[in-house]
Amino acid sequence: MKEKLEALKEQALSSINEADNSAALEEIRIKYLGKKGELTAILKMMGSLSAEERPVVGQIANEVRGAIDSALTEKSAVLEKAAQDKKLNDEAIDVTMPSKKAKIGGLHPLNKVLDDMLDIFQSMGFDVVDGPEVETDHYCFEQLNVPADHPARDMQDTFYLTDSLLLRTQTSAAQARTMEKTQPPIRMVCPGRVFRADEVDATHSPVFHQIEGLVVDKGITMCDLKGVLEQFAHEIYGKETKVKFRPSFFPFTEPSVEVDVTCSECGGKGCRVCKGAGWIEILGAGMVHPNVLKNCGIDPEEYTGFAFGIGLDRLTTTRYKISDIRLLFENDKRFLDQF
Amino acid sequence: MKIALNTLKYYVDINVGVEELCDKMVMAGFEVESIENLADKMSNVVAAKIVSIAPHENSDHLQICQMDTGADELVQIVTGAQNIFEGALVPAALHDSYLPDGTHITKGKLRGVESRGMLCSGGELQLTDADYEGASVNGILILKDEYKTGTDMRDILGLNDYVIDFKITANRPDCNSIIGVAKEVSVVLGVPFKSPDVTYKTVGGDINDYVKIDVENHDLCPRYIGRYVKNLRIKESPDWLKQVLKTCGMRPINNIVDITNFVMLETGQPMHAFNYNDLEDKHIIVRNAKENEFIQTLDEKKYNLTPEMLVIADGKKPSCLAGIMGGLESEITDTTTDLFLEAAKFKRDNVRKTGRALGIRTESSGRFEKGIDINNTAFAMDRALNLICALDAGDIVDGVIDKNLGLPENRILNCTTDSINALLGLDIDESEMVRILNALGLATTLNGNLLTVSVPSIRDDIEGRADLAEEIMRIYGYDHIVSTPMTGAVRRGRKLPERIKSDLIKSAMISMGANEIATYSFISSKALDNLNLSEDDERRKAVKLLNPLGDEYSTMRTQLITSMLTVLSTNFNRKINDVRFFEISKRFIPKSLPLTDAPMEIPTMSIGMYGSEEDFFTLKGVVEEVISLFGKTAKFEKSNEVFLHPGRQANALIDGEKIAFLGEVHPDVLKNYDIGVRAYVAEIQVDKLFEIVPEKTIYKALPKFPAVTRDFAFLCDKELPVGTLADIMSEAAGKLCEDVTLFDVYEGNQIPEGKKSVAFSVTLRSLEATLTDEQIDAAVKRILKKLEANGATLRM
Repeated sequence: MKEKLEALKEQALSSINEADNSAALEEIRIKYLGKKGELTAILKMMGSLSAEERPVVGQIANEVRGAIDSALTEKSAVLEKAAQDKKLNDEAIDVTMPSKKAKIGGLHPLNKVLDDMLDIFQSMGFDVVDGPEVETDHYCFEQLNVPADHPARDMQDTFYLTDSLLLRTQTSAAQARTMEKTQPPIRMVCPGRVFRADEVDATHSPVFHQIEGLVVDKGITMCDLKGVLEQFAHEIYGKETKVKFRPSFFPFTEPSVEVDVTCSECGGKGCRVCKGAGWIEILGAGMVHPNVLKNCGIDPEEYTGFAFGIGLDRLTTTRYKISDIRLLFENDKRFLDQF
Repeated sequence: MKIALNTLKYYVDINVGVEELCDKMVMAGFEVESIENLADKMSNVVAAKIVSIAPHENSDHLQICQMDTGADELVQIVTGAQNIFEGALVPAALHDSYLPDGTHITKGKLRGVESRGMLCSGGELQLTDADYEGASVNGILILKDEYKTGTDMRDILGLNDYVIDFKITANRPDCNSIIGVAKEVSVVLGVPFKSPDVTYKTVGGDINDYVKIDVENHDLCPRYIGRYVKNLRIKESPDWLKQVLKTCGMRPINNIVDITNFVMLETGQPMHAFNYNDLEDKHIIVRNAKENEFIQTLDEKKYNLTPEMLVIADGKKPSCLAGIMGGLESEITDTTTDLFLEAAKFKRDNVRKTGRALGIRTESSGRFEKGIDINNTAFAMDRALNLICALDAGDIVDGVIDKNLGLPENRILNCTTDSINALLGLDIDESEMVRILNALGLATTLNGNLLTVSVPSIRDDIEGRADLAEEIMRIYGYDHIVSTPMTGAVRRGRKLPERIKSDLIKSAMISMGANEIATYSFISSKALDNLNLSEDDERRKAVKLLNPLGDEYSTMRTQLITSMLTVLSTNFNRKINDVRFFEISKRFIPKSLPLTDAPMEIPTMSIGMYGSEEDFFTLKGVVEEVISLFGKTAKFEKSNEVFLHPGRQANALIDGEKIAFLGEVHPDVLKNYDIGVRAYVAEIQVDKLFEIVPEKTIYKALPKFPAVTRDFAFLCDKELPVGTLADIMSEAAGKLCEDVTLFDVYEGNQIPEGKKSVAFSVTLRSLEATLTDEQIDAAVKRILKKLEANGATLRM
């Protein structure tokens, strides 16, 4: 009997070894270990053994069962692994095939730059306000120290809707509105659309965008103006950027300055972008004219302030090196997708 | 203001190079638009004498000249010109020379004979008779014999000079003059200003015996000065005078006209010269034009005048448009013998209005519009008489008629040095302030820390502390301004709620794959015709610009759809296949027309899309998502916009109020915009979304008990909207209803005419307990009953 069991074991292990799929393995399991299997058949004959032989043979039989069982389990794992490997192998894809597009749109470049700027000014404590695009002569000119016969009115060709209603030529109109409503301290920026009767070409558009800034408080100085603009320039163009004031004229500020920054392209050495100057003009600014404060009900003896106006379109075209301002309003998707 | 460097040197000793001068002027507030180096115009072109002329053996028309160019050896030059003669002094472009048009002249052979340069005509040097007498003749320019051979032509033509174009800001009209700029240069360089001579000799007599002047409208003409000059000797002006005029961009005419133009350029005070003998009644009247009067001006154009316009009339008729242009009749010509000379101040606003109305702008009117100094008028007149005397152009009769209502005295301003330093944030020395103000012609004394400044009328832009601070600062130097950090309460700036909400919509649109566009706020007056809108459509009530750039930009838009369709069209015609765009901008809606108040500016959003993956329902999905940002679910109902597909358009409503329209664009409108695919547009009144008060977000417990889903498939009227069916079922299921989802709609085979098959899945759930069979059955029964009542028959 012992010999029979050993033979059975050899036979079973050999056929397990040869099995090449899980169905064959199952057949082997049934053949040897099933209720009607060969090992079971042998065990049924145990009753005919002597009391001395029985435990010995029993132990051997258990060993044989254990060996077959673990061989089956082992082989099954091997076969499963092989099957999965094959499946994974079959499922391999060409990862260089084109993707299924997850589309995401984008902000218009003007608003992308505007968002950056508003973030900078908000971080410096400037509230963001809005003003109407259709303005009155009163807010766009008179309150800003540009009376009716003032030559400065010729500086900008204005679109009129009626004798006294016009499309604002500057976001500065928001200065007067803000000062009339709010007592100092005032710290605000007003972004918006402005209009001037310029024929459309590569650098002119009758519709463009500005950001007006205004600070009014006790003891505000021209050095504070430079501080704010320098911080702004550092955020926009980088820490190395230098700021230069050049005297200029605006009716609503006195003293008035044009503000240049070192060219971000060449760092001030002079290049094509800055036309060799090393500097790029980015905005106009100045100390709020005492007449403007007075017009808006703020005592110029007690308070001083500064204001600045930044051209958003120019800033956008220089940042992205856009050669023609008309592209901003054409809205070609291939253009818009670049931002 | 264009001024030649050599001209400035008459008034101030310039001790720096042109670049440095310009840099310093820029930092003092005078932007330099351009620096033109006149010498760049030509090089190596000299005056040369023709020593001998020999015929060319291979040519009938060419001649071989031996030229004395001032060098040791003669230079052989072959020319085709026929007007030359031995002994003539002519311009010769030598080997390796440049002409004004950029031509590079080098030695070469002409039909086998060496030529080491080229003899030049006036045209080749880009000269006219005004530049050099005889320059326009056909042939080589024959020079006057006064130059040494070898003299650089640039010296002869006055081209060794720079012309600087200064941009004069509106607050400094006094600097629209050579003297004004020269005074600034003197302050900037710290060298003295040399005032021109204004003395002259007279020949006796009395002007009052020759002319009478009446100023009827002193409001428009605060000052009028007249002088009389007889025995005019009209001739060409000397070279220096012609040169100054030319570099300033004016054409020399004759000595008298040139003097008036020169004095205007020099002093900023426009002058006018009348032919005295053409003045009727020898009477000058400064008055408003009469109805139906007209004038023919120096440019030979005729203008009809209106009573707002100021004229200088003689006893009969207008003789000059005040401050703008003289009349042709009283023009100074070569034969004029007697001169009436005017220097006046006219009100700037009136000059501007008249100039605008007639479409004339001159050097004179430009200066009056910007404003001239009433106290400078007499100085200018004296200077003109000085030049008439110096150039021996006529005999000045004694006496001046000066009509004015009193001349302004200097204004006295008091201001402390501390208050100036406080505004600037600096600590400028008091004596430095005094020095600068005095240098600028603002006589200043210091008493303690109080500055007392005497401001002449020529600087009426200076009103107070801020102006004085600017004057000091632009000379002291803006590079002294240092940066100081902002102080005050520390807080982040706030955005208005509308802007925050608008930003929210934008980021949602971007994540839905849309690109933001930007379009103009004004559109063509015909844009709405492209939408095929009826004549009485509200959107046609639009605000128009009084002075648009053209019809294309004439009308403030009352909707955003036309702009969007234009952008869709641009993209379609550039063969771009799929686009999804949006814009948030303003509509301009007048409260009444004609406009009395500012129109309403209503924030509005447009959406536009086309492409293989877009249809009405993708658009609807986008609109729903935008509305859901504000915690609302919109209802959709059919709408009837004429520019949309009649069967594929809807209004979106929140709580019964229309918030948006959306739909497929009508094929006729697509054709108007040259769009060759189906396109979809929506317009959302985001202002109404902004008004929604957001509900506080409060967490709702997740359901603990299972949901039950029942499917319903039935036939119903084809016209019955599925939205209505869903509402019916939801309502019938009652509060157990969690969701009603459409999962199939079918028309066609096996479905009776006029019917459709629809299938919904209804999810029921209780938050308190697992639903019982009885509860479920009851709900199902209620749904079925309602469906039947609406003509639906269940399909098994």
